[in-house]
Amino acid sequence: MPGLASGLHAQMKRPPPRSFTAGSLLLLAVALLVLSLAGYLGPARGLALRPLAAVQSWIALRFAGARDLLTAPRDVATLRQQNAALLAEVARLQQQVITLQEQVAEVEVLSALLSYARLRPENRYLAANVIGEDVSPFIRSIWIGRGSDAGLQRGMPVVTERGLVGRLVEVFPTVSRVQLILDPEAAVNVLLQTSRADGVTVAQPNGEVWVDTIGQEVEVQPEELILTSGLGGGYPPDIPVGQVISVRRRDFEIFQQAVIQPVVDFENLLIVLVIVNFPTLPFEATSP
Amino acid sequence: MAYLVGTPLLALLAILQSAVLSHLQLLDGRPDLVLLAVGSWGLVGRGREAMVWGLIGGLFLDLLSGIPFGTSAIGLVLVAYIASLLEGRFWEAHLLMPMGVTLVGSLVFHALSLAGLLLSGHPIDLPTALMRVILPSTFLNLILALPASQLAVGLRRSLFPPEVTI
Repeated sequence: MPGLASGLHAQMKRPPPRSFTAGSLLLLAVALLVLSLAGYLGPARGLALRPLAAVQSWIALRFAGARDLLTAPRDVATLRQQNAALLAEVARLQQQVITLQEQVAEVEVLSALLSYARLRPENRYLAANVIGEDVSPFIRSIWIGRGSDAGLQRGMPVVTERGLVGRLVEVFPTVSRVQLILDPEAAVNVLLQTSRADGVTVAQPNGEVWVDTIGQEVEVQPEELILTSGLGGGYPPDIPVGQVISVRRRDFEIFQQAVIQPVVDFENLLIVLVIVNFPTLPFEATSP
Repeated sequence: MAYLVGTPLLALLAILQSAVLSHLQLLDGRPDLVLLAVGSWGLVGRGREAMVWGLIGGLFLDLLSGIPFGTSAIGLVLVAYIASLLEGRFWEAHLLMPMGVTLVGSLVFHALSLAGLLLSGHPIDLPTALMRVILPSTFLNLILALPASQLAVGLRRSLFPPEVTI
């Protein structure tokens, strides 16, 4: 009997098979997926993102500073000279330089953004730091460090002093996700500045951005500027989007396409402006 | 203990993936730090913990992404399960095993991400996704697979030191 009891005890202590563990966890993940698709997890995600966004913001700012330091050869040389001369001061000086460089970069960006905002007094802007990119490489979106606590809403357009960045597709209390115009799901109604033809931007999976639905009769000029048209109400009019770099024209097609170079440098976005007084339509992610 | 260490570690890796690794790309691919951590932890004989790590790490990734919430978690639990299947096999300690698991894990993880996006209606060009994202990401993951597994071995030793009989 003692043998039987110890056998039962051992059986009771044995962990469940690994396929059972995996199955349970997968079920849990699928349940979360379903709840999320049904829209029940929004507040919980917002709550979970609060501490995560604070750390993300802190790391993003430090990384931007370190990257600036490494990509500015003259400053590195100066710092090295200072290192040689002032060994005792080196740690403190490096810290100072990183901080100051970051502040200068921020001031330069903010100054440019302020000039842009002054040119368009009809719009009200809210500046926000870019704190990260989407972790999925299949989605072209960025995270900014402002959310519904600051009055942001889904659908608000996002710009820099150069032009259109995208629009808010997810808004949490402290952070928001901006769908870039480079995302294949994004579509913007645009106007060709010289030829005055309308079109719609279509981001290609290879990273190119095309303007589609341009009539075959339109003479598209090289380097022609592309602006938002304001049609459809998704974006305000006259925000620069890009410049034509080539034209795809086939006689058997109804429309021609213009390949454009976006005016915004998406690789080096530090601070963006959200247009907060633009009346957003009931949100439909794929509507232009 | 593994969860106390693992949860903040996975959160940190997910944040690094969003804030830092987005600037270190090969074409459009980038290393998947959370996947490497989960796979490596599964390979050092902590299979069940790795599956829970997969769920937690996947949810952190899903928080920082526009893909349907839960998709990465499903992918990473599967990756951990695949890694745990090698537990106790005679080739478990083979030097190239982390690379094999990383190769299979990366492909499974990205395939599930793609499936999640396609199901949610996100337009994806599969050949481009394969050439510009999946293969470069898998390549970067393979480069980091061995260092990651060594780090996991070190972490296991410090968290669960082997018992010594005197």
